[in-house]
Amino acid sequence: MDSNRTALPFREFSHRISLVFMLTLAAALLLLGRAETYVFDQARQVVTDLAAPLLEIASRPVAAARRVIERTDEYAYVFDENERLRAENARLLAWKEMALNLEAKVARYEALLNVQIDPSINYVSGRAVTDAGGPFVDTVLVNVGREQGTRSGQAVVDTDGLVGRIVSTGPKASRVLLLTDLNSRIPVVIEPAHYKAVLAGDNTDWPRLEYLTNVSAISPGDRVVTSGDGGLIPPGLPVGLVIQTSDGNLRVQTFSDRGRLDFVRVLQYEFPSQVERQEPPDVLKGPPISSGADAAPTSAGATSGGTE
Amino acid sequence: MVRLDPYSPTPAARAGRIFMTVAPFVMGLACVLLSFVPFGRIFGSSLTPAFALMAIYYWAIVRPEMFPPLAVFAVGLVFDLLSGGIIGLWAFVYVVTYTVVISQRTLVVNAPFSVFWLGFLAVATFAGALAWAVVSIFYGMPVPPSSLVQHMVLTVAVFPVFAMIFGRVQTRVLPGG
Repeated sequence: MDSNRTALPFREFSHRISLVFMLTLAAALLLLGRAETYVFDQARQVVTDLAAPLLEIASRPVAAARRVIERTDEYAYVFDENERLRAENARLLAWKEMALNLEAKVARYEALLNVQIDPSINYVSGRAVTDAGGPFVDTVLVNVGREQGTRSGQAVVDTDGLVGRIVSTGPKASRVLLLTDLNSRIPVVIEPAHYKAVLAGDNTDWPRLEYLTNVSAISPGDRVVTSGDGGLIPPGLPVGLVIQTSDGNLRVQTFSDRGRLDFVRVLQYEFPSQVERQEPPDVLKGPPISSGADAAPTSAGATSGGTE
Repeated sequence: MVRLDPYSPTPAARAGRIFMTVAPFVMGLACVLLSFVPFGRIFGSSLTPAFALMAIYYWAIVRPEMFPPLAVFAVGLVFDLLSGGIIGLWAFVYVVTYTVVISQRTLVVNAPFSVFWLGFLAVATFAGALAWAVVSIFYGMPVPPSSLVQHMVLTVAVFPVFAMIFGRVQTRVLPGG
């Protein structure tokens, strides 16, 4: 008898069994993954650390190709660009004078009022080596990790403004949650009205403004910067501009462009959040609270008698 | 009469045989890694096609015995671990999509390329809708589908290029090609 004839139905049967098993396993994984257990986080970090060097090598030709295209563009518009930069330079020189005067004035006021200055911010630079890799996630990997002092929660900026924050770190690579991700929530303040809000990503190009108390005081074109609430992200980092969508909602056009991410800086900012507990002064302490109703006069009497 | 020794393959031949057996799976994993290479940044965009879905569809139709369900699950899981999204999302979506493709395989297996491409359009639509439904249930609200639609349109648009590459590998590298 031909062995292939008997092997074929068996192979098909085992293929079907395997398919059912994998379907069950995938569904179970989806449900288990919701718990976000320690095992999955560790597995994710191991795979990320293994893939990061490969992806970094693969992203280099892409970066080189982009530079060639940008360079070609620059050559094409070199005269126009030169003229624009001259005009901008003249404008910025006036601004520089004003900024220097203001800086000196602010420093003098801070000294007079004994203002506590924010802690200084160190940073480490790295390169975004991957793309988001899916339509529901806006995260990128950067090639700096725990070995360079990166910690979860630190802010990431590029030359334009805030990009996102670190959500997990490995020895050599970290994952950055971009502002547009569905899970991103950043405390911001809208200038010049100085209203606070939360910038919430929703998987579109323009994050929403949530918990905004006075919408009428905000208008398109207002500047959005980080508020520093929560102590994770330094205050004053530029985020974007307020825009109004066609349905009338206020959203934010971020300064950083996720399609052009390249070199980024991870800000190592530690707000002094450790507050020591202090006992209240004696004058603010009330009498000791006794448990029984009839025990109170006795104990009070005993105390006063003892004092006299 | 001369007696021939029984054939025993050299280590190189064995390694070649193993490589040919796992080549589709390795290509699937390479497609996962390729999904994270920021090609879109060349043109100032963050869009990347679903390379892994192309590999799964192609091999499920052309050589399903070389791309078993375990390989599909592994490809999806690696994608989930690398993407930083919901664990098990793409493993689930890819295995369900693979099951659908296998069940309808006879419709496109010897059909012209246009039908093969149309089949991929249907499969990409199904996979996208399933992923959107799972994510929306996960977050408890309908997720804006615009980026998913762009992602799938780009995937279907570049599929012929990758089908050609897979076809070359199939005819020149794989046994019985």
